[in-house]
Amino acid sequence: MNDSSTEADTEKLVSMNIDQDIPHEQTVEEIVASLGDTVGQTRVDNPKMSCTDVNVFYADKQAIFGVDLDIADNEVISMIGPSGCGKSTLLRCLNRMNDTIPICKVTGDLTLDGENIYGKNTDPVLLRARVGMVFQKPNPFPKSIYENVAYGPRLHGLSRNKADLDDIVVTSLKKAGIYNEVKDRLDQPGTGLSGGQQQRLCIARTIACSPEVILMDEPCSALDPIATAKIEELIDELRENYSIAIVTHSMQQAARVSQRTAYFHLGKLVEVGGTDDIFTNPKHELTENYITGRFG
Amino acid sequence: MKRFNHEGHTAHQFDVELNDVKHKVMNMGGLVESMVHNGLEALMNMDAELGKQVSDDDRRANQFELDIDEDCTRILARRQPAASDLRLVLTIIKTISDLERIGDEAEKLGRISVKLANEVDVPTYYKELRHLGDHVKTMLRESLDAFTRMDVEAAFSTAAKDEAIDQEYATFSRLLISHMMENPRHVSHALDMSWCARSLERIADHSCNICEYVIYLVEGKDIRHANLDDMRKKLL
Amino acid sequence: MNDQRNTTEIVQASIKRRYAKEKRFRLYGLIAIISSLAFLAMLITTITIRGLPAFTQNFIQLDITLDQKTLGLGDEPDISALRKANYNGTIKNSLLAEFPDVTKRKDKKLLYKLVSKGGQYDLQKKVMADPELIGESMTVWLPVGDDVHTYLKGDVDITLPEKKRRFKDIQVGWIDSLQENGQIAKRFNKTFFESGDSREPELAGIRGALFGSMLTLVVTLALSFPVAVAAALYLEEFAPKNRWTDLIEVNINNLAAVPSIVFGLLGLAVFINFFHLPRSAPLVGGLVLSLMTLPTIIISSRAALKSVPPSIRDAALGLGASNLQVVFHHVLPLAMPGILTGTIIGMAQALGETAPLLMIGMVAFIVDVPTAITDPATVLPVQIFQWADLPEKGFVEKTSAAIMVLLAFLIVMNALAVYLRKKFERKW
Repeated sequence: MNDSSTEADTEKLVSMNIDQDIPHEQTVEEIVASLGDTVGQTRVDNPKMSCTDVNVFYADKQAIFGVDLDIADNEVISMIGPSGCGKSTLLRCLNRMNDTIPICKVTGDLTLDGENIYGKNTDPVLLRARVGMVFQKPNPFPKSIYENVAYGPRLHGLSRNKADLDDIVVTSLKKAGIYNEVKDRLDQPGTGLSGGQQQRLCIARTIACSPEVILMDEPCSALDPIATAKIEELIDELRENYSIAIVTHSMQQAARVSQRTAYFHLGKLVEVGGTDDIFTNPKHELTENYITGRFG
Repeated sequence: MKRFNHEGHTAHQFDVELNDVKHKVMNMGGLVESMVHNGLEALMNMDAELGKQVSDDDRRANQFELDIDEDCTRILARRQPAASDLRLVLTIIKTISDLERIGDEAEKLGRISVKLANEVDVPTYYKELRHLGDHVKTMLRESLDAFTRMDVEAAFSTAAKDEAIDQEYATFSRLLISHMMENPRHVSHALDMSWCARSLERIADHSCNICEYVIYLVEGKDIRHANLDDMRKKLL
Repeated sequence: MNDQRNTTEIVQASIKRRYAKEKRFRLYGLIAIISSLAFLAMLITTITIRGLPAFTQNFIQLDITLDQKTLGLGDEPDISALRKANYNGTIKNSLLAEFPDVTKRKDKKLLYKLVSKGGQYDLQKKVMADPELIGESMTVWLPVGDDVHTYLKGDVDITLPEKKRRFKDIQVGWIDSLQENGQIAKRFNKTFFESGDSREPELAGIRGALFGSMLTLVVTLALSFPVAVAAALYLEEFAPKNRWTDLIEVNINNLAAVPSIVFGLLGLAVFINFFHLPRSAPLVGGLVLSLMTLPTIIISSRAALKSVPPSIRDAALGLGASNLQVVFHHVLPLAMPGILTGTIIGMAQALGETAPLLMIGMVAFIVDVPTAITDPATVLPVQIFQWADLPEKGFVEKTSAAIMVLLAFLIVMNALAVYLRKKFERKW
């Protein structure tokens, strides 16, 4: 009895949010409060990274509301949701890229291998070497392909000599599945490659630092379908060695590449679960509406 | 209980396409229902004309199946439906194949009625079949209603009737066997009757399947080959 | 259907007007470009026509006898005696020998004016290089005097009555006869590039001002470039955004608009009166011009830094580069072309600046070519300003020639900037 009444409330609130012609507009906080607890299993048996009650504020505006989420070893977890739902914000918290924004404040526990990444002893530079990131727009440095990949290892002193470095570069390019395409022109600018190749070069660059987790922020949004397919194939191969969190606007992509899917709405983690379940039978109505293309 | 709604997509055309295919399924259901009704009537009244009409209707039902299949393929290819939309399309694809089989069974009834109409000296005990037929017709109608309204409750109660119909079929079969032993001259007729009963029983099975699809569609749980009561307790 | 036709009609009615408007606008632009090009061409032509003669000099061939008596030298002359010897006398003798019929005192004076006062220095140089020449006779080419140069250039109107012009009929006769004998020749004017300033137009050169400008610019560049880039980097990449940095930004922008003479006053008060740095020195000039160019370079550097795409910063940060590494490995190299452009604009501004340098004494008459940043010096624009003020006719062409040198200097600087830009420029 009790259950059904709250659900009806949720439904009403949500529909009010969607239909803009209702005069009284709700604050984000009210809507978030009405969303209730996260549906599904937020915890896994073998967490690589884990978030507990994470809140993110931009000045006075709260962007993330009490998110609990684990990222397991050797899994691809995709984060989906409408624009401005906080999925990218959460992703950037995972390697402290938000540190560069002075008004951004993060509370709650974020851990990597059980270690608090916002702790006093954690250095963001070291953290970013362990948690690599691939961005929305392919952003190779305006340097040669070799230099692009060698930059990270050189920065962190991962190679003892030139031969060592050469080895890292070639291995990384091979892992990123682009070596055969560029092996004859390692000294040419990385910006001269096609969009898909550039993005794989960026992935190679990230891999070269031998991270443990790779964060991907809409890595295929600027690419054509063939290049996208290649990246997705690559993500699947990388899963053997890395944990991967991917933010994507393409639900089909989330469905294709990930083992688990998390759906965010207005800064709240609404539902998380196996990708198979989320895409055939989501539990939360908002997830259902988003996945079936009813808003967003 | 979950509310099921396949409308309200941002892409309005998607709503239209889904509605369209759903209406076609409902039309096909209506056609098949009338085929079963007519087949049974033809059998009861020895109406060769009506029996022939059932055969003609079966061709229409087959055409419906082809049409709807094509529509579903198009939706899958162009809309890549997910979650409830995906389940709806899958349910429709499965439902129409069951409906088509029901049509085939009804056509068998019609065929036998044509055959019987041309014969003389037909025993009257086959009238017993009407009882079984009425039950099957009710079940088919209810399952189609459950599909139209996406009503899980109704689907469960309708699916549960399958057992009673199986029992009725067994009873009728025993009746036929005793008749055959009493009157070996009527064996050929009795076998026809057995076929008819068998068809009706199959129709009930297909109706039961449709109910299960409706439950899958709304609840996202596949309850085929599971204990109905357990499932019902779990879901409702 | 009906609506569509209406739309077509409406559009067609206005389309001609729209195209005409566009055509008109293009025409205005073309006119603007052509007129500015015409003005530029006019400027350059007049300057070139006026200045070109300054790059050539006329010489008179004379047979000169370097006899000891006229030179006033003893048997064993030392260096200082050689320097002070009366070379002018030998030139006069040789001129008198060339035109033996000149006897009147007044005519002799006119005759002596045929050869420039610089002629004696040429002889002095020759003799001091080789004292054996004393007592010998030789044929030398000596530069002509100012008036002769003007006449040869065709700037003397001989139809005027003799009294109204400096160049007399008798001189015209001499020059004509010399020309007939092939004793007058036109050569490239090395003096202009080899000597410093002088009161005699035919002896005045640009070298002092050119070197003064170079030294001043070197000081300006060495001071303003690192300071400005550091300031821009700090403000753009590291400083917190608050009221103080806003205030600083506003002030920098205002500073760029301060009249340059104010910087001159500041230089006078601070560098010369307070720090007692040498007056008229490129060091002080450079300091003052640095103050003036700093805001320009800071503003353009900040714009260049801002225009570096954030995706590059993200990429470097995401790989674990520290803030400083991000800036020095990626942001600064990418912003370099823009920073260089700003710097060159600032330097060009500094090169053409006169007003503040007047205040710190770089306007003095300085003959020597400066060799160090503390030597007294003047700069090209100040030199032009000074020459333009002098009454002698010969300085008119010198002024134009100096302007040409200044423009050439500017073009070289800009060419260097373009080269550097091309070298640093990368696409992303």
